[in-house]
Amino acid sequence: MFQDRRIGLWLLAPATLFVVVGFLVPVIILLSGAFRTDGGWSLGNYLDFFGSSLNREVFWRTFRLGLTVTLVSAILGYGVAMAVVDKGPKTKGRLIAMLVLPLMISPVARTYAWLVILGRTGFINVGLENLGIIERPLRILFTETAVFIGLIQLFFPLMVLPLISALENMPRDVVPAARVLGANWLTVFWKVILPLTKEGLVVGGTLVFVGSLTAYVTPAILGGSKVLMLETLLYQRVSVANDYASAAVIGVILIAMSVLTNILLKKLASVRKA
Amino acid sequence: MRISGNILLAAVLLFLIGPFVIICIAGLSAGETLSFPPQGLSLRWVARVFQVESFRNAFALSMTLAIGATLAALVLGIPAAYALERYRPPGAEVIRNIVTAPIVVPGIIVGLALLRHLVIPTGIGVTVALFIGHTALLVPYAVRVVSASLVNLRPDIEEAAVMLGASRLGAFMKVVLPNIRSGIMAAFIIGFITSFNQVPVSLFLSGPGVTTLPIDMMFYMEFNYDPSVAALSGLLALMSLAVVMVAEKVLGLSRYV
Repeated sequence: MFQDRRIGLWLLAPATLFVVVGFLVPVIILLSGAFRTDGGWSLGNYLDFFGSSLNREVFWRTFRLGLTVTLVSAILGYGVAMAVVDKGPKTKGRLIAMLVLPLMISPVARTYAWLVILGRTGFINVGLENLGIIERPLRILFTETAVFIGLIQLFFPLMVLPLISALENMPRDVVPAARVLGANWLTVFWKVILPLTKEGLVVGGTLVFVGSLTAYVTPAILGGSKVLMLETLLYQRVSVANDYASAAVIGVILIAMSVLTNILLKKLASVRKA
Repeated sequence: MRISGNILLAAVLLFLIGPFVIICIAGLSAGETLSFPPQGLSLRWVARVFQVESFRNAFALSMTLAIGATLAALVLGIPAAYALERYRPPGAEVIRNIVTAPIVVPGIIVGLALLRHLVIPTGIGVTVALFIGHTALLVPYAVRVVSASLVNLRPDIEEAAVMLGASRLGAFMKVVLPNIRSGIMAAFIIGFITSFNQVPVSLFLSGPGVTTLPIDMMFYMEFNYDPSVAALSGLLALMSLAVVMVAEKVLGLSRYV
């Protein structure tokens, strides 16, 4: 019944055409700018980009934040996921809905809440001053810590949901079996739980790492121009200096890092399986 | 172990959800500047949200954009997913990669590319470009979610309908569509929320009089430190809560995990 390939191609045509014209062609033209200087094709833009110490700093900061956010979410994620799968079906459903909720709320609203908490006249500073612990307000906003906190809140759900579903699919009795055989908790986690749930960890890790690399709203509001990440740097280069070459270079870097992460983490999961 | 797990769970939930409670309360402040705890309670800033003209216009644009782009992405994505799952024409995998490519490219690049290489050369308005950008962003979600529900639907049911005399289109409309309805609704909710909350794609595609709500909020908070953005954020959080509750009732979100 589904042999007529022409029908298949006709059904695919509108979506393909739309994505090619309305997305692929403009993006490729833009990104090709990363490999062009006045004289023709070259890698000069990359040398220019990484020649600036500010740009290098932003690159490493983006990488560092991506990595720490991913690691911390993974550690907290396992703890939370294990506590969630222990619950009865009804509680579990409610808990999962609560974990999903932040994903549905506007990132601007989500990040703005942190301004209220971390700002000079915010919750933390006012509280600590009233308790007499500090005399002048702490500078938390516009630091890497503020961006880190914002990113964790933003991306934690993307880590914990795949971990929950991986733990659900793990055979129930392997953990008690390992315990009975004398393994301590750390060994159980390292030798039993981790290998059996690594697909979930890979999915969550990819989403969180790539999401952190390409985050815009969180560094824009909580980091400002003091704590630039690659996307906020891109916006600044374009809006302040019409610097499209740097924009294209940043674009290529971000896409390359996302694709590499995908490949690398998938490899890692399948090697450990063998 | 169990107790420490529950303490961690409670702490993380507090960290995830606490800020929204705080912002709702900060939005109910009676004072002139943003602070927590608020200086007295009142609804003045909530009322103010509805009086700021740029918020009203931006809300209308974001709503229209989110509904329009999601419907467009479904109209393009459902036939594409159907063809990819059932007909598997030559080059299907290449086409699948093309139509899901927008998910790999950072939104800010998409917005800039559309501005520089579509709006400027062709002279189309930024509103049209916004619509194109948001739709392109949502096509991958539509294709993936609908594909996933088609995989779970056996093709022979449809074959039976055709053998019993239904036309191809009739079989699709009467047999396939009703069976993938929950997938389509899930795709609609995901698409609507993604577009409505979208910042990076819209960043470079905003012009005079054309700003989406999240972008307008970011502009506003750069120059104002009053609690109106907090009030608006609180309202948006409640709106999302309502969407999640409806989705959970209708679809059972937990089933998708």
